[in-house]
Amino acid sequence: MVIVIINETVDLQVRDEEIMETIVSLDMLKKGERFRINRVTHVREIGKKLADMGFTKGVEGLVVRFALLHDPIEIRILGYNVTIRRAEAAGINVEKISAVLPAVVTQKGKR
Amino acid sequence: MKEKCVIRVALAGNPNTGKTTVFNALTGARQKTGNYAGVTVEKREGKRSYGGVEFTICDLPGTYSLTAYSLDEVITRDFILEEKPDVIIDVLDATNIERNLYLFLQLQELGIPMVGALNIVDQAEAMGIKIDSRKLSTLLGVPLTRTVGTKGIGTDELLDAVIAASQKLILPDRHIFYGSELESEIEQLTRELSTDREFSAKYAPRWLAIKLLEKDANAQEKLIGCRNRELIEKKASASIRAIETHFGRDAEIVVSEQRYAYVHGIIAESVMRSSGNFSATSEWIDRILMNRILGLPLFLLTMWCIFQVTFKFGRYATNLLNIAFAFVTTLVSASIPAGIIHSLLIDGIIGGLSGVLSFVPQIAILFLCISFLEDTGYMARAAFIMDKFLHLFGLHGQSFMPLMLGFGCSVPAIMASRTLKNPRDRIITILVTPFMTCGAKLVVLVFLAGIFFGGNEGTYVMIIYLIGVVLAFLSSLLLSKTVLRGELTPFVMELPPYRMPTARGIAWHVVDKTGRYLKKAGTVLLAASILIWAMVSFPKLPYEAAGINGHSRTQDELAYSVAGRLGKAIEPFVKPLGFDWKIGISAVTGFAAKEAVVSTLGVLYKVGSEEDQKTTSLKATLLADKTFNPLVAFVLMLFTLIVPPCIAALSIIRAEIGWKWLGFAVIYMLSLAWVLCFATYQVGRLAGWGI
Repeated sequence: MVIVIINETVDLQVRDEEIMETIVSLDMLKKGERFRINRVTHVREIGKKLADMGFTKGVEGLVVRFALLHDPIEIRILGYNVTIRRAEAAGINVEKISAVLPAVVTQKGKR
Repeated sequence: MKEKCVIRVALAGNPNTGKTTVFNALTGARQKTGNYAGVTVEKREGKRSYGGVEFTICDLPGTYSLTAYSLDEVITRDFILEEKPDVIIDVLDATNIERNLYLFLQLQELGIPMVGALNIVDQAEAMGIKIDSRKLSTLLGVPLTRTVGTKGIGTDELLDAVIAASQKLILPDRHIFYGSELESEIEQLTRELSTDREFSAKYAPRWLAIKLLEKDANAQEKLIGCRNRELIEKKASASIRAIETHFGRDAEIVVSEQRYAYVHGIIAESVMRSSGNFSATSEWIDRILMNRILGLPLFLLTMWCIFQVTFKFGRYATNLLNIAFAFVTTLVSASIPAGIIHSLLIDGIIGGLSGVLSFVPQIAILFLCISFLEDTGYMARAAFIMDKFLHLFGLHGQSFMPLMLGFGCSVPAIMASRTLKNPRDRIITILVTPFMTCGAKLVVLVFLAGIFFGGNEGTYVMIIYLIGVVLAFLSSLLLSKTVLRGELTPFVMELPPYRMPTARGIAWHVVDKTGRYLKKAGTVLLAASILIWAMVSFPKLPYEAAGINGHSRTQDELAYSVAGRLGKAIEPFVKPLGFDWKIGISAVTGFAAKEAVVSTLGVLYKVGSEEDQKTTSLKATLLADKTFNPLVAFVLMLFTLIVPPCIAALSIIRAEIGWKWLGFAVIYMLSLAWVLCFATYQVGRLAGWGI
């Protein structure tokens, strides 16, 4: 509910802080969830490889599926599919989008 | 236009963009393959005459970027920097334009005229992606041609564009704007780099400046040739610090992000997308093949089918070859009198040739299957399915295929490890593949188990198989923790949409791989088989000395030969394993081919004439022999499993990863074999197993 209100009352400072709270690492997402990349915390080879493949701030993506033991993970970004290991996903901070949007709908429905 | 001029073209692009189909459409059959100097990365070159111009086209490895982390990427950029091709053609996958443009912009920084081939436009349009190629071409500052490589559409237009690009004297000074913070740092470094004229003529200064900001190790090495190197290094690290404080992120990531931001800007202006734009067919197929529960069994079924087809059909073809060789042998026997030359021709050369050629059908069939799976896009999915399990042991998802094929034959299995892009993963996979019991080792196992574990032979053979698998996994775990310990390499792998492979592409793979085998393994294998023939045949035993003590002539001749003496020389080493010199010789001949262990044992333990080679009598002899007992037989089975593979496999290991790793593999396997066999024999003897 809080998120909805803040989305409408435009205070940039507060909004940023709220988003900080909803930021999770990519490996916490479920199948079918959408996300927006906030930050890739990996450095050197892994960080660069992820950046080269399009994992950069602001890019939106979708968790397509998991392998049998929940690892690796298949992700769709920039119109193509890519797999990454859980350990790599753990270093990618994202903001969920799918979870927020339905919440807005239900809140409005209740009102 | 100049008459009869030559234009050198480099063909670059992301993997899975249909780059190879464009290459084929451009060059037709005028291709040759080789390796880049010092590495086992394939290099394909082709020629084409068009419009009075002779084109030489080099197909560069498919890459996503031009960092120093991947061998393919370093090769690509070094080829462009050092060979300075006249024009670069960048093949862009229209269905996936963002990531493709990311590479394009990096190629553009190398300072060579470029032409873009907007490939697979038909599929992109079907997916609802509309690219305004004229607008995109203006934004990028390069000519763009629409192509469909599989149908050969657009190749003439592409070559026209290449001719036009090669004639431009001044390059349009078009490059990415990295944002004012980065640009000011880039500018400073570029200015400093440009002061050394000679150096900046070799490496585009702006490119090098950006690479230095990306902390590129290879670019830092290149700097050694620069006059004001120290000053530049100091400036570069100051710039990196400034960028990192400003953005709060790693400088090399910032550069990537700015590049992508620029790409997103271009896309927004030139590409129209309707919703969806993902291949519905691919999604549907993946829902089944990549299903969390069904994925694994379906993959194993696929592997089983490949295994069956390769080794079953392969065997028919091999049998046909053997019939042909038997025919040649009879011809030779009839026309050449018995003697050394006769023996050299039949046992040495023809025997060696048939050994070399007997693998050809299997390799051809196997690579038919592998390139089909690879070109459709299933291979990447297989790696996805298997990765977790293999990663636990320091292997990679794509290691599964070679390991599995190792149960058939190590030679094609080791060649199949080429699908692994990371050198470390590839070396580990190749080193442990021989532990998978191959078809020839199975012959030895069945032979020994059949004699000493009658009724239970299946169980004992199975135990050896399992020990092999366990050793393969433990060895890879050990190697990945010790000699091949390295930084964790990323498993960031594209899953391309499923595509129907072209018959031409697959045929090319099969011919190329088989030819490579014949060239590399064939020569070594033939030489080795002649060498082993010589070791078994020389020196000749004087006639009178043979056939005493109830031994057959063949037995005495073998004992007298170099191989026999070698067997006796290594007896002290194999004695603690319960072996005598006869088993020692068998192990030596086993290097030619594992089946030879059985035939050598046959010769050595046989009483009577050499024509009488029925296993029943051999079985009786072995059972009656003092040195042989079930424990020794089991240790010999274990020994056969672990010792270095046959010469064919060894020469392929050398061809793939070089002498150094071959030496390592041989020493590792020999010592492991000795230690495990010693332990088994000694413990077994004390416990009284099978005595």
